[in-house]
Amino acid sequence: MGGGFRVLHLVRPFLSFLPEVQSADRKVPFREKVIYTVISLFIFLVCSQLPLYGIHSTTGADPFYWMRVILASNRGTVMELGITPIVTSGLVMQLLAGSKIIEVDNNVREDRALLNGAQKLLGILISIGEAVAYVLSGMYGSVGQLGVGNAILIIVQLFFAGIIVICLDELLQKGYGLGSGISLFIATNICENIIWKAFSPTTINSGRGAEFEGAVIALFHLLITRTDKVRALREAFYRQNLPNVTNLLATVLIFLIVIYFQGFRVVLPVRSKNARGQQGSYPIKLFYTSNMPIILQSALVSNLYFISQLLYRRYSGNFLVNLLGKWKESEYSGGQFVPVGGLAYYITAPSSLADMAANPFHALFYLVFMLSACALFSKTWIEVSGSSAKDVAKQLKEQQMVMPGHRESNLQKELNRYIPTAAAFGGMCIGALTVLADFMGAIGSGTGILLAVTIIYQYFETFEKERASELGFFGF
Amino acid sequence: MAPRGSAAATAGMRRRRLGGASTNSSASISGGSGPGSNMLRFYTDDAPGLKISPTVVLVMSLCFIGFVTALHVFGKFYRYRYAGGA
Repeated sequence: MGGGFRVLHLVRPFLSFLPEVQSADRKVPFREKVIYTVISLFIFLVCSQLPLYGIHSTTGADPFYWMRVILASNRGTVMELGITPIVTSGLVMQLLAGSKIIEVDNNVREDRALLNGAQKLLGILISIGEAVAYVLSGMYGSVGQLGVGNAILIIVQLFFAGIIVICLDELLQKGYGLGSGISLFIATNICENIIWKAFSPTTINSGRGAEFEGAVIALFHLLITRTDKVRALREAFYRQNLPNVTNLLATVLIFLIVIYFQGFRVVLPVRSKNARGQQGSYPIKLFYTSNMPIILQSALVSNLYFISQLLYRRYSGNFLVNLLGKWKESEYSGGQFVPVGGLAYYITAPSSLADMAANPFHALFYLVFMLSACALFSKTWIEVSGSSAKDVAKQLKEQQMVMPGHRESNLQKELNRYIPTAAAFGGMCIGALTVLADFMGAIGSGTGILLAVTIIYQYFETFEKERASELGFFGF
Repeated sequence: MAPRGSAAATAGMRRRRLGGASTNSSASISGGSGPGSNMLRFYTDDAPGLKISPTVVLVMSLCFIGFVTALHVFGKFYRYRYAGGA
């Protein structure tokens, strides 16, 4: 215990330097919240289009290619790192706190402040570290080509962008905006991607004449230009190299399934102790931890990919490095490295049904990995985020709520029947849906769709709640 | 999946009854949105630190965007002059 405390106290000297957005001292009206959210989103979108100054080229292999959409980052722009630093530091802190390496007492104010500070500090350090790694690994051209001055400028730009993302996220979370910055940025990026894949007017010449990239546009284009309508339809539905209509339909289907599952919940009736007749309900959702498991899972995977690729490029002969992942340049997506062996290969979704049939072990391993990782992350997350049965019981007690028919001391036991199960099973369901989406070839990877849907659903809930509270229907 | 579904169904029924019985006094607890809403931020209470107001954050971000844009512009000028002089 003593050792753990010292680790956390290391953060204290830095605490006064960390930027911290003031909490709102008044209730921010709904309109103002929308304005703050829109401005933040605007800043994010501008940043993800603004190219970095001083880069030479971005044609090299992109170790984060697979995770771009999910991590809300854009190649060669100021948002190169996206939300990776925050998510990674959250993951690390979760693992540290979950494995009791850092002892945190949730009841002590200072401990909470320190943990918060530690997470932010780690996020900033990670963004510096990744910026340096990017520049030194020659992502933007070798350091010799760039010149030392430019290299430093790039690192400074990426570092500032990291701080801005952290601040924007905090701004939105502290009650000035709706939802959280991370979720807003992820959802925007994924939706942008889906819309683009569906309606992109770019033409690509693939040997059979110019083809439109967007699935819907291509469908109409093929139907109009081809004489054989049946073959045109078949091509629009099943073309391999570009997004096709099947992918689009799969995306919509997954969207609907997830929305349907969101409604599954167990509602525990609660009653206020001091106000007679005050009835309430405490819903425990099937997706109790919502999209947290996939966010953490993708943070884990993307970091693993990054490290594995760096190592593979340097020491490709080493046995251990090969065990971690073997990479090969893909024929399709110009110069991208795809995993072809080792651990990295087995935790990547199979690219198609044919691929699955050819290598069933890969598919099986992927399935098992996704399900267990999501369930595990979900279970540890409730402990760390303060939403375990114990915390909820305490929260209800503070609000003077009791469950009719149960003694007060029984509350935690009763909650314990539902919450861990909901967390683990919900995490597994999320994992299973992700796998399903991947196998069906939904646009923007299964993880991406799942994230987008859950986030949009959360936003709907927030909107409803804000509306309700604005109208004065709010009980507590 | 069957027990899950039936549990959800009964929950929905119970809820409807609640709403019907007392529209005004029934309310659900704000914790309902679940832990997913506070993503990766453990606690939202204030910590000691360099306090900045939300407007400052937005202005800072805009300044940063302006700065990078200015870098691009100056970079173009500089390169142009450099190429012209050489």
